[in-house]
Amino acid sequence: MVSPISSKKSIEDLENQLLKKNKILNEKYLELETLLDLTNTINSLDDLNELFFNVLTLSSSILNSSKGIVLIKNNVSNIFDTVSSFNIEEENIKKQIFNTRSGFLRKLNKEKKSFIVSNKDDFNHELFDSKKALISPILYNNKLVGAVILFDKESRDGIKNFKQNDLKLLEAISIQTSIAFQNVKLLESLKKSNKLNENIMSSITTGIVEINLFGEIEFINKEALRLLKKDENEVIGNHFFIIFEKNNLLIDLIQKVELEQKRIFESEFNLKSKSKNISVNLSCSPVFDEGKSFSGIVIAMDDLSKINKVKSTFKKYVSKNIVDKLLENENSLNLGGEESEITILFSDIRGFTSMSEKLSPKQIVKLLNKYFQSMIDVVFKFNGTLDKIVGDELMVLYGVPLKNENDTENAVKTAIEMFKSLDKFNSKIVKDGFEPFKIGIGINKGKAVSGNIGSEQQMNYTVIGDTINLGARLCSHAKSGEILISKSVKDVIKDVHKFKEISPIEVKGKSKPIDVWVYKHK
Amino acid sequence: MSDSIKNVEEKDGVIIISTAGYFNNLAGEAVLEVFTKKMESGSTKFLVDMNDSKVVNSIGVSILIEIIEKLQVVNGVMAFTNLAGIVEKTFNIMGITKYCEVYDSVDSALEKLS
Repeated sequence: MVSPISSKKSIEDLENQLLKKNKILNEKYLELETLLDLTNTINSLDDLNELFFNVLTLSSSILNSSKGIVLIKNNVSNIFDTVSSFNIEEENIKKQIFNTRSGFLRKLNKEKKSFIVSNKDDFNHELFDSKKALISPILYNNKLVGAVILFDKESRDGIKNFKQNDLKLLEAISIQTSIAFQNVKLLESLKKSNKLNENIMSSITTGIVEINLFGEIEFINKEALRLLKKDENEVIGNHFFIIFEKNNLLIDLIQKVELEQKRIFESEFNLKSKSKNISVNLSCSPVFDEGKSFSGIVIAMDDLSKINKVKSTFKKYVSKNIVDKLLENENSLNLGGEESEITILFSDIRGFTSMSEKLSPKQIVKLLNKYFQSMIDVVFKFNGTLDKIVGDELMVLYGVPLKNENDTENAVKTAIEMFKSLDKFNSKIVKDGFEPFKIGIGINKGKAVSGNIGSEQQMNYTVIGDTINLGARLCSHAKSGEILISKSVKDVIKDVHKFKEISPIEVKGKSKPIDVWVYKHK
Repeated sequence: MSDSIKNVEEKDGVIIISTAGYFNNLAGEAVLEVFTKKMESGSTKFLVDMNDSKVVNSIGVSILIEIIEKLQVVNGVMAFTNLAGIVEKTFNIMGITKYCEVYDSVDSALEKLS
């Protein structure tokens, strides 16, 4: 028979055991809850300092450690800096340097898994006056980039060694921390690359508009805003139907790209902005995601108004070839009034005055236009710049505004071919009953000042200087069918054998006679 | 006074103990020491203000449970105020809140306790 006293004791024992079990269960429950909290916190953070502090406080809390630190490798020095600490004084932190050459980090770097430090271990580190610790790695691409360290497991009876269960728990936490660290680093790198992308997009001179799958404008750069004369706020998030309301043709193009998912290029597309029409080269391209599914459209617009301005300014004076070269490389364009080496060609119609007396003004203009057209074709063929036409005289430049290695050679080739072209021209007009044209040409080479010269009302690109004057004099000395060149020209041309030295000529403004060479057309 | 105890004062017959920092074994022992002295001098109503203690561990909590048990013997009252979310959750799981009230502020606690 069981006595009432022993029965009461058994019940008390049972109660105590239940209470103990309940406490253990509660602690396990708390561990799980805290781990869950930690996971949620870790995954929602994008700030590393906050992340590490949360890791330390929550893991210290559930593992009853008295203090802790998080170390992260400094990419510059390879030292592991204390980036977060819990319950440790700042001064103590500064006293210690951690690296993987020695101590517990060497072991962690080698094994890359968590371990317990107890009294018997000696890692040559004071570990903030503690001999008991729990150390877990933070890994990035399987490389050690940091560590979570908890010190001194507390109990009512003093500091204890950490146990295997504690190790497992911290390991789970540090795995989560490693993932979060990687995520934050990736996010940082993504933000950085987005920023870079944004900077590039805003600095390029091509207007870019990105349209998403729903037809909404997702991105627009500064140049596109300028071209469309719109603010970013009114564009982003709006449907392209609204933004390109006045550009029905562009809407059609976008819809065509949506449908066919092929790139469309339109040169000199007429883009309607708020106040005016702008000519652009426009490309409309489909965008595909990684799965090769259509995900939107990118429109690129190159403003042609500046280019057209340059073209219209120069096309009357220089060959298309030179305009293109100038547009390709703006630095090669010298319009500012600089002295440079140039070659100048003058041509003049001999006996034009007496010839014109026999013709009506209408006939004169018609004949002259035909003549100049055939001469200018030759000029442009050899990349000459037509400076001006004065009466029956042509003035052509080589070496400005764009310098070429064979400028002088080209001037001579122009002159020779001008005669060939003149022959063809003459054979035509003779058939029509007109007298053939006779021309003389002078070419000189030397320094001259070139640039836009004139007043605000009228400004022309031209050249001035002695070289020009001598060129003009050579032309006036040249007889019909002759090309007169100066020594500076003769010295640099390959076809020098075609020229013959003649007696020096006296020219106005020169004290000494000038040496000249002549080419005689058959 | 320990670093873990910021302030101890008596208001309307309630001993208010304000803690600071990590509420661990050290802080728990410090609170236990204050509590023991005050109880010996006849106080039975205690309010722990944890505004500056955002982290607790189970050792600190187990000391608080010990204090609550002692108070139950003398029909005393223990209450808490200004608990951080994570601290309140810990108290719930560890069962403290079954035996103690938690208040939003010192004033609302005093209103009920005094």
